[in-house]
Amino acid sequence: MSENLEQSFVAQLQANQNIIHKICRLYTDGEDAHKDLFQEITIQLWKAYPKFRGDSKFSTWTYRVALNTAITLYRKTKRTISTVDYESHQHFVRDVDYNYEEEEQIKLMYKAVYQLNDIEKALVFMYLEDKDYQEIAETLGISEVNARVKMNRIKGKLKKILNP
Amino acid sequence: MKELDLLKKDWKKNSDSFEQISEKEIYKMIHKKSSSIVKWILIISILEISFWTFSNLFINTDDVLRKINHPEIVAALEYLTYLNYLVGLIFVFIFYKNYTTISTTVATKSLMSAILRTRKTVQYYVWYNLGMIVVTSILSFFIAFVYNPDMAFLREKLAVNGKAMLTTVGILILVILGFFGLFWCFYRLLYGTLLRRLYVNYKELKKIDF
Repeated sequence: MSENLEQSFVAQLQANQNIIHKICRLYTDGEDAHKDLFQEITIQLWKAYPKFRGDSKFSTWTYRVALNTAITLYRKTKRTISTVDYESHQHFVRDVDYNYEEEEQIKLMYKAVYQLNDIEKALVFMYLEDKDYQEIAETLGISEVNARVKMNRIKGKLKKILNP
Repeated sequence: MKELDLLKKDWKKNSDSFEQISEKEIYKMIHKKSSSIVKWILIISILEISFWTFSNLFINTDDVLRKINHPEIVAALEYLTYLNYLVGLIFVFIFYKNYTTISTTVATKSLMSAILRTRKTVQYYVWYNLGMIVVTSILSFFIAFVYNPDMAFLREKLAVNGKAMLTTVGILILVILGFFGLFWCFYRLLYGTLLRRLYVNYKELKKIDF
């Protein structure tokens, strides 16, 4: 029975692991920290799994546990300043139709997002993931109106970082 | 915001380009130990509770009490000990209840407040014990001073010399204050590093909602 549980968990997690990778990408800098947080999130998911009843999707549930781990439970082992060189830890290949100006802007945006605090990053993350404000509010435990207000403020903050 | 839309486009384009972790590796991961702050809080809390509970057991006052030979004082101190055990039990129960409410599947804000509540229970227990130490040391100083036959010479001495009395009380207060200072520093160090980030994020969330 418990082996079955393990099997179904691992299979589902394997299929949904990009959610965790994306969170790690926002909350850590460097490959080691990425792996470290990935592991902690995996452990927390596994610990919570027996109570997962499937009344929500596995992915939705993963979002919540993973974000909670990144924001609340995770202890950064090393203190590093978060002005990371964006390219240094991206593991993907660039598109063929390379637009230099756009590329520069995206790079600057990533740098700006890294300067936000943990809660602001969570809002931006869910925004990038196309979550609606109701889900954002429910995940963080704040009201929908305030989530909206905060997101607008974050946009303002990002603008300020980009054009000081 | 134009830049944010641009970022979203890029984010989506790259969202499945991470180096994939195999099922085998995930199997390995779930058998590793967590290093989350909840685990640390649990370990430290259990250590604290056991330390204070055991330290109550090891303070032996029987000899002194026999010498004093006042049954009403002995009875009063006994009640105090029972009260201590009762309060300790209540704290352990509340701590256990708070701990079991910590769940990673609730909203972030609720998770944070559950952790902080658990932490607070232990903190109150420690403060209660520290308070008890102050009360009992003042009480035992008083009892020893008034009833203990060994202290008779000191009583006489102090009765003559008012200044000596003042110095004795002063030293007692200093010792108590020093003791508190030490504990306070220890706590700042221990939990400061552990909970700083959690406090900052909790404050941020509360700020959003008001």
